[in-house]
Amino acid sequence: MSSAVTLQDATGHMAHDAHHEHHHHETFITKYVFSQDHKTIAKQFLITGIIWAIIGGLFSVIFRLQLGYPDQTFPFLEDFLGHWAKGGKLNPEFYYALVTMHGTVLVFFVLTAGLSGTFANFLIPLQVGARDMASPMLNMLSYWFFFLASIIMVASLFVQTGPASGGWTVYPPLSALGDASMGSKIGMDLWLVGMAMFIVSSLLGGLNYITTILNMRTKGMSMTRMPLTIWALFFTAILGVLSFPVLLSGAILLLFDRNLGTSFYLSDIVVAGKILPNEGGSAILFQHLFWFLGHPEVYIILLPAMGMSSEILSVNSRKPIFGYMAMVGSMFAIAILAFLVWAHHMFVTGLNPFLGSVFVLLTLLIAVPSAIKVFNWLTTLWRGNIRFTPAMLFAIGFVSLFISGGLTGIFLGNSALDIHLHDTYFVIAHFHIVMGVASFFGMFAGVYHWFPKMYGRYLNNTLAYIHFWVTIIGAYLIFWPMHYEGLAGMPRRYYDFSNWESFKMFGGLNEFISLVSMIVFAAQLLFVFNFFHSIWKGRKVRDLNPWGSNTLEWTTPLKPGHGNWPGEIPEVHRWPYDYGKDGRDFIPQTEPVGKDESTGH
Amino acid sequence: MSTTAIPAGTKWWSGGKSPFNASYGKVMMWYFLMSDAFTFGAFLISYGTIRFSVNHWADPNHVFNAFPFAGHANLPLAFVSLMTFILIFSSVTMVLAVHEGHKMNRKGVEKYMILTILGGIAFLSCQAWEWTHLITGDHAVLVNGQIEHWGTTVTKNPWGPEVMHNGQLVATPGPIAFGGYFFGITGFHGFHVFSGVVINIVMYIKTKLGHFDERGHYEMIEKAGLYWHFVDLVWVFVFLCFYLI
Amino acid sequence: MSQHTISPEITFAPEHPSGTKKIWKTFWILSIITIIELVIGLAIYNIHKGEHPSESLVLFFKGMVCILTLAKAYYIVSIFMHLGDEVRNFIMTIIVPLCLFIWFIVAFLWDGDSWKNLRNTDAGSRPATEQAAPAAIEKGAKP
Repeated sequence: MSSAVTLQDATGHMAHDAHHEHHHHETFITKYVFSQDHKTIAKQFLITGIIWAIIGGLFSVIFRLQLGYPDQTFPFLEDFLGHWAKGGKLNPEFYYALVTMHGTVLVFFVLTAGLSGTFANFLIPLQVGARDMASPMLNMLSYWFFFLASIIMVASLFVQTGPASGGWTVYPPLSALGDASMGSKIGMDLWLVGMAMFIVSSLLGGLNYITTILNMRTKGMSMTRMPLTIWALFFTAILGVLSFPVLLSGAILLLFDRNLGTSFYLSDIVVAGKILPNEGGSAILFQHLFWFLGHPEVYIILLPAMGMSSEILSVNSRKPIFGYMAMVGSMFAIAILAFLVWAHHMFVTGLNPFLGSVFVLLTLLIAVPSAIKVFNWLTTLWRGNIRFTPAMLFAIGFVSLFISGGLTGIFLGNSALDIHLHDTYFVIAHFHIVMGVASFFGMFAGVYHWFPKMYGRYLNNTLAYIHFWVTIIGAYLIFWPMHYEGLAGMPRRYYDFSNWESFKMFGGLNEFISLVSMIVFAAQLLFVFNFFHSIWKGRKVRDLNPWGSNTLEWTTPLKPGHGNWPGEIPEVHRWPYDYGKDGRDFIPQTEPVGKDESTGH
Repeated sequence: MSTTAIPAGTKWWSGGKSPFNASYGKVMMWYFLMSDAFTFGAFLISYGTIRFSVNHWADPNHVFNAFPFAGHANLPLAFVSLMTFILIFSSVTMVLAVHEGHKMNRKGVEKYMILTILGGIAFLSCQAWEWTHLITGDHAVLVNGQIEHWGTTVTKNPWGPEVMHNGQLVATPGPIAFGGYFFGITGFHGFHVFSGVVINIVMYIKTKLGHFDERGHYEMIEKAGLYWHFVDLVWVFVFLCFYLI
Repeated sequence: MSQHTISPEITFAPEHPSGTKKIWKTFWILSIITIIELVIGLAIYNIHKGEHPSESLVLFFKGMVCILTLAKAYYIVSIFMHLGDEVRNFIMTIIVPLCLFIWFIVAFLWDGDSWKNLRNTDAGSRPATEQAAPAAIEKGAKP
């Protein structure tokens, strides 16, 4: 292949046909709305994700009001929730709807689309040295399918019978029978259709990410020279492409059960004294299908955060990442194990105990690669020349949360213990810390670190430090006490604990948790303010490489156009973690290996 | 660097080229098919799980024993083998179209694309007949001590275990999930065949208009072919799971 | 090279055999396997019609059909879809993820079988009688 690939050739190839030069004459629509530039699409994902995060977070604040102050009324709730909060008291049906939508929105719309959609789009072409995604067209469609899914999901919030309310896992028969509850009516159909659109979006995105990483790497960017972010996003995309279709199947069968009278998940059901004719199906089957996606989904959320934290920890410790290959290997192991452990969510469903024991074994195996990653992060920090930028703080916070949330995973992975802890606040605490807050920390770290590349400006540091400290302390104050509540048997998804003699003692604690959650939510609004304010008013970036980083995205112009590099795409000569080598602070990937450079990393 | 033999010691992963010597479109098509395999796999595995969980399941040799214009002759497996051969044959014509595409022979591609499209339409017609036959068929079923006549639908399964009734063996209602899975999975497969036919028609028109000659390669035919063969591949498993075992 | 124009990612133009012999050979292999499958299917049908159907023989035949189906899948993927002609790396990235199906199938069917046992024994507490009855009639029944 000729080495002189001009910009014209490359962009032409990127858009499939060399004779279509539609990068000129960009209109507002093609530049900002139906854009095929991966950077714009990334920002679209991020901003949609932020809007969703505000909605989902607000839901949690509302239902925490109920949990923290079960005896009080809040008349202002009636003003904007209407009949769902008559007299300022949350309707129990709507409480379930809030919990359900809080889970759905944050797991899928924020931490899947908002997190990996944003950073896979933004970082993959920039860090592997490509002009754009393999197929910019499908990439654009990926966002617009997500947008469509968002519209449908938002619409479901406004139907008269309310949105889906059977929990974010939408287990049948509650979700399969319209008569079962208020939220099992049209809201549930919209949920399923919205999720189907979401799956199409994540499939289109995932195929693009995988193909781009494999086929579009620049010269010299071998797989083992890729930054760990790219490896993480690569495994994330593989998990999504192989596991989301299974949820699609499950959702299609559920739609059939709801609307065509089939019996995939239904057998021997009595609703309101009426025996239904459905027979032969199994509600547990849905749980199997759901968790076959659901467990990899946990890692779809977590892996991008791991990858970004690895990169940020190394850059800001001014040290090479410790055990690069071990990091890649452990992510690979996690990706494989993610597919083999789904039934550990189902120990109390009457799962065959012998089958369960295999799932326990496979589940506990995940501790091995997770521990490898944790120790590698800690040894990367060890004796590093640490710069506590906001991104670095959030990356360290991620490691902390991953450790404390991961340890309780070992409790829950044991079927014997899980039978006691299942569906209690212990589970809530576990997964919020390890996959919810930890992934949010990864996402915040990513936003703070790459904001200068996205918008050519910095986020405000003071606000960022306040944001960090309130969030990390708040997250621990909210979720740590929940472990104790869970061990005491306090079940999740209950509307009011004040009626139970055994849970009355937690009244004060619940109030405290609610109070902290409101403060933390306010701190997130501070971040949102900082984000939008800094897009236009932030301190301007003067240095092409503000963090002194080795990776390729910092070799582009300050605000790269479509095509990323104005001239040739730079060639890569080394791995991305040559920090503090041979007395030099950092050596970018584009610099050829010197003659008397020391070998090895 | 356009050598025809594989250059010895090619560093596939070093970047700047595809590690698979394949265009991104082809790679993407393969991975899409892999993900679709998980969709179908999930359907078929759910079907297997439900079938494992009940004591009785409809015997395919009784359910699928009809043939068009053959009246009430008992011909187990006959019609479905016809469908299978139609699909295999249309797969052959598809691969021949791809072959002609490699030789840049437009007339050849057109001929074989037409044959493939016809094969797809023939298969869909067979499926339409089979569905109609099942839904409109009537089979004596003993329901609450009364004989009723049922077709096979997503809500009715007249193929349950047989019991003695007035000195005669009569079937009782079977697990309703049977109809749901049969129509659901063959329907989803049929939907894939349908979209495959649509894709093939588009490819045929593009060939006819000379788009691929202009482009200098017939890779689009190859990608459409991958999809078409995948549809055939799925049918092989549907055939196994619903008709053979 | 004509193939070179497809995309700059391609290092060398893959060779395509000029003849169609391999395609037709595969067609015949697939047809013959299908015919063998049909014969086995009819054999299962006749075993079920007999007085004392041997469950283990039926199981053996069903296992054989599954293996034959996998053989068909192999020929379709490797010859018709030309996966056999691709670079080895590519073949592996397709085949290896499909191995996930093994545990997917085993775990699901295992649990499905377990539900049947739970149903038939009232969640393991006692053998239920009603469900066993139709099954017994069905075994002795003539279609």
